[in-house]
Amino acid sequence: MTNRISGPLNGIRVLDLTHVWAGPLGVRILADLGAEVVKVERAIGRGPRAVAAQQIGGWIGGEPGDEPWNAHAVFVKLARNRRSVCLDLKSAEGRNVFLQLVGVTDVVIENFSARAMPAMGLDYVALKTANPNIIYVTAPGYGTYGPYCDWVAFGPSVEPMTGLTTVMGYSEDEPRSTAMALIDPIAATSAAAAVVTAVRRRREEGRGAYVEMSLHESGVSFHGPWLIEQQRGGPIKTLGNRHPQMAPHGIYRCAGDDDWIAIGCPDDATWQSLGDLIGFDPSLDLAARRLVEDDIDAGIENWTRSREKYAAAGELQDHNVPAGPVNTTPDMTDDPQTIEREFFVPYERFETPMPGNPIKMEGLSASDWTPCPSLGEHNREVLQEWLDYSDAEVDELVAAGLLADEPPA
Amino acid sequence: MDRILEIGGFAAGFCGRLFAQNGHEVLRVETASRPAWVSQESTDLFLHAGKQRITGVSTKLLSELAAQADIVVLEAECADEIDTYGFDSWDTPVKIAITPFGRTGPKKNWRATSNVLLAMGGYTNLMGDPGRAPLTLPGHYVEFQAGQFGYVAANACRIGGEPNVADIGMFECLMALSQFTTVQWHCSNRIRSRHGSDFWWVVPTNLFRCKDGWCYLNIVPTFWDAMTTFLDRPELVIDPRFESNDTRMDHRDELHAIIEAVLSDLSKERIRQRATESRIPLGVVQTFDEVLSDEHLAARAFWQTVQGEGDPVLSPSLAFRFDEEPRVSLALEEPQAGRVHD
Repeated sequence: MTNRISGPLNGIRVLDLTHVWAGPLGVRILADLGAEVVKVERAIGRGPRAVAAQQIGGWIGGEPGDEPWNAHAVFVKLARNRRSVCLDLKSAEGRNVFLQLVGVTDVVIENFSARAMPAMGLDYVALKTANPNIIYVTAPGYGTYGPYCDWVAFGPSVEPMTGLTTVMGYSEDEPRSTAMALIDPIAATSAAAAVVTAVRRRREEGRGAYVEMSLHESGVSFHGPWLIEQQRGGPIKTLGNRHPQMAPHGIYRCAGDDDWIAIGCPDDATWQSLGDLIGFDPSLDLAARRLVEDDIDAGIENWTRSREKYAAAGELQDHNVPAGPVNTTPDMTDDPQTIEREFFVPYERFETPMPGNPIKMEGLSASDWTPCPSLGEHNREVLQEWLDYSDAEVDELVAAGLLADEPPA
Repeated sequence: MDRILEIGGFAAGFCGRLFAQNGHEVLRVETASRPAWVSQESTDLFLHAGKQRITGVSTKLLSELAAQADIVVLEAECADEIDTYGFDSWDTPVKIAITPFGRTGPKKNWRATSNVLLAMGGYTNLMGDPGRAPLTLPGHYVEFQAGQFGYVAANACRIGGEPNVADIGMFECLMALSQFTTVQWHCSNRIRSRHGSDFWWVVPTNLFRCKDGWCYLNIVPTFWDAMTTFLDRPELVIDPRFESNDTRMDHRDELHAIIEAVLSDLSKERIRQRATESRIPLGVVQTFDEVLSDEHLAARAFWQTVQGEGDPVLSPSLAFRFDEEPRVSLALEEPQAGRVHD
């Protein structure tokens, strides 16, 4: 057996050493496109045997069950379409097995701290010795070198280092973090982009690559327009929900408890439509609207307050005004758009709906998706399929404690 | 090397930027564009350096250009606008259509600015203070993420060697990149909401004012002991109020007050030093000037030079770097009227 998930990346093997959010999310993008992904995990990587703490995302099915380490909803959400090998990389024998896997794979990707892979004797030189054409993607928080490379980093602590927090908030004196680790999903898509780029380069140039990334640089790479504007002397300010070149542009209260709508007015034609609907002077250009933006916002909110958010959005859209409700999760899963496009997919245990693949194209279908594997579920299968191990050889590794399918006691 | 035909706004522009920076030949057809978050010149310098650019392209010429391209990336304001280009009739091997809501579904022709998509995609509900208006995210996150998905899709198709057409909706890109928001609802029946800068579920994880600015702490449970060292308050390790994340959540305000008292007299530089010594996850709020002069980014040769009409400027390189290859310098070409590939 090779690929179980159909897609254009069939035939590309990925050894996934990633953890937390950015790395697993990036690998999920590759897996959804058909890459053959094997997640190589530590026995303790999903947590202990017993329920140790409340899980942010809860448990798949609502309860931790008999194997709580396999039921963390956040982990499960990110780990579809791959197989699991639970291997002790801190032992010489475990590393040897891993390097054999490297020898028959295309990509190794990890987002450990900068010290971790060298400390395990698994730096690029070791991987390249095992496979001269390997593509190795390393993505520590601040990269593997430079003054900050040993800084401890998670998405939320990296975000302000990218400059984003200086433009995010209610005012200059009230900056806000996104509080959602926004840099992680940027690093995730960047990692997926890095892998497909590297695979194509290898085909053209006949050699693998060492690919260096960081959470930090991923975040900064999205802020190019601001960073260039800063050098050119342009004003950059915290604008709350306003936009420097659109007016109106905001989040407005609707009828209901904490219900809101987002509206944007990108051009004069949209303003005229909005003016016709709500009763503004349709002749105002952007400069004129800027001068009375407080009044416009008050007028819009006077209109939205008497409408529930979906109805207001529909009415505005009927007039070609960009508008949409501030959605909660149930709003999203109940949205006719997500339902018709079958975006949320109940392939996982207990038919838990999971966000789908935003890349829709022929040959991709969620119908062949596989749920998150249990820890070490494919130890035997992968070693036999990729490395021609016999049952006895696998049994030896299990007996030696190098392969596991549950956390240590 | 592929020939890329790029048409559209910031998503197509970011997708084309990735191709251009990776050595492909990108021809950008300029179209009417949504207002950018900064000046058009700065936006163009970031997105379009290293590309050929043309304006005033007829539908017929567009079709001819598409026939010469290996990949077309077309971004439009709605699904029906994609059709007006004749997109489906082009025989380019790989075609990527990017729209706010995708090419099918009851909202396929809904109009959206990025704040609308962030609201519908579940982000806005999580940002800002409780009891106040939620906050949108400034900048082009939505479009750049959609562009990055487009780039991945196009390259995957080229790797697979089969012609294909991708339909990418920005709304779905956002939802695909959601954090624990959706499973928290489906598995815990909790609707995630906004708590200012506080991550809420891990304490302390919040933005704190310091002597000359702000810093962000993200103390997941394994770093709590180190955090007490950072604060120079080692007795907090045995304080029952703070012995676990659950108890720290229960005594959030008391803990925040302790942290604020320590940080308020410290500079960002001193806080960073102490965080490094204590090995805790902490970042300081950097201005864009500080990012541009950041010693770490400089040591990693992160910046590339982009030349437009004025003085050259620094621009972020790609988020990934191969074999420590040198960063390239790029020039922004002026758009030409009706110019085609040689």
